[in-house]
Amino acid sequence: MDKYFDASYIWNAIPVLLPFLKVTFLVAGSSIVLGTLFGLLLAAAKLSSLKVLQKSANFYTTIMRCTPSIVLLFLVYYGVPALAENFGLNLHSIETAFFVVVTFTLQFAAIMSEVIRSSYLAINKGQFEAAVSVGLTPFQAYRRIIFPQALVIALPNFGNGMIALLQEGALAYTIGLIDIVGKANLIIASNINAHALEIYIALAIVYWVLSIIIEKFFAMLEKFFSKGKKTLETT
Amino acid sequence: MNYQFLIETFFVALSGVPIALLVTIVALLIAIPLGFLLALTRINKIPIIHHFAKIYVSFVRGTPIIIQIFIIYSSVPLLLKIIFEKYNIAYDIYKINPIWYAFIVFAFSTTAILIEVFRSALGTIEKGQLEAAHAVGLTTFQAYRRIIIPQALVVAMPNICTATVNLIKATSLGYAMSLPEITLKAKVAANVGYNYVEAYIDIFIVYLILCSTVEYIFKRYEKHLSKFKMASA
Repeated sequence: MDKYFDASYIWNAIPVLLPFLKVTFLVAGSSIVLGTLFGLLLAAAKLSSLKVLQKSANFYTTIMRCTPSIVLLFLVYYGVPALAENFGLNLHSIETAFFVVVTFTLQFAAIMSEVIRSSYLAINKGQFEAAVSVGLTPFQAYRRIIFPQALVIALPNFGNGMIALLQEGALAYTIGLIDIVGKANLIIASNINAHALEIYIALAIVYWVLSIIIEKFFAMLEKFFSKGKKTLETT
Repeated sequence: MNYQFLIETFFVALSGVPIALLVTIVALLIAIPLGFLLALTRINKIPIIHHFAKIYVSFVRGTPIIIQIFIIYSSVPLLLKIIFEKYNIAYDIYKINPIWYAFIVFAFSTTAILIEVFRSALGTIEKGQLEAAHAVGLTTFQAYRRIIIPQALVVAMPNICTATVNLIKATSLGYAMSLPEITLKAKVAANVGYNYVEAYIDIFIVYLILCSTVEYIFKRYEKHLSKFKMASA
């Protein structure tokens, strides 16, 4: 062994790793879109007057909060094909990315349902009543009055949820997805496990920079959307 | 579905609970005082240390915990090897129990989370509280112990609960350090007959029980603490 630690490995690894961010983004992006939609349904269930819907949505959120991502990941990876077999479907040859998206959709939906619920509750009920009383339909009232205000409140939590999802997504390599972490492990394996530390540091740098970018982006969005909020407060 | 295996493995998974809890408790015991002190440096803007704390928090929040595990698990042995060779300590670093690495990793990440928790909790306490305590003759230490901390704790409790639950969940990644906790034990049991579905259902149930219990305990404690809560003006 020549050297314990060689920093040049860090800089050489980053350009090799970066193209694989595409996979990471694709998986995270689809989970965010699907998870937000599912989360919207869950939030609607939590806010509905039906006790059964409320209870089951809350139960779902509790379960998701108590399950480590890696356990959920493997449960989906082994469990979904086994379940599908009962219905005569063969899911064994399907892409691993599919299972990753399913897992993180389930998890992100639980986070989002709480974010959406709390931001909806933060809007004063009088806003909706006032909108309806001036002749807007309920849909218009939601679209024009409630949604823009709830969005501003939800943004910071949405950003935090996104960063959390990106980080939990790092576990997708465990079921064999070749994303940025998977590629890093391949590089280390091809080096016969030497200089693993440098590759992991490169990986940490990529994630760190990404998180900072997302954080800054959401801070900017918040500033942009809260323009309307200020005028409301002053009137 | 192999039901007999399901039941047997449940107890195998359950036998990993003490290790998971031990790691959680040790990590919290290190992280709570350290996080509190670093939060104070952030609030009082102590030069250098508060910049260091800021970067530290940003790093831990910005990188996946699995990568923190990878980095610590591959860098600490390297450092120890250099130190041991320098001082001629004859100890095989590969014989170190992985639980020590687990303590380091999880204390490292939880401290950063708790810095932010304590910082925001202390931020909710008005400055006048400390001044008033000073004015009646309490020392700063007394003021913190008797006036500030009890109030800040009420605010911080729900977030500490979340951090604890996340920590318990994160111990499932101990497999990367070959730490024999819940996930690894059940997985090893499943390797024999490829009963992975059953094994993961067991793991899932064990975490569910563990985390709901922790959440319940925290809820009870929060209720107990709420007597310190100020009547909202």
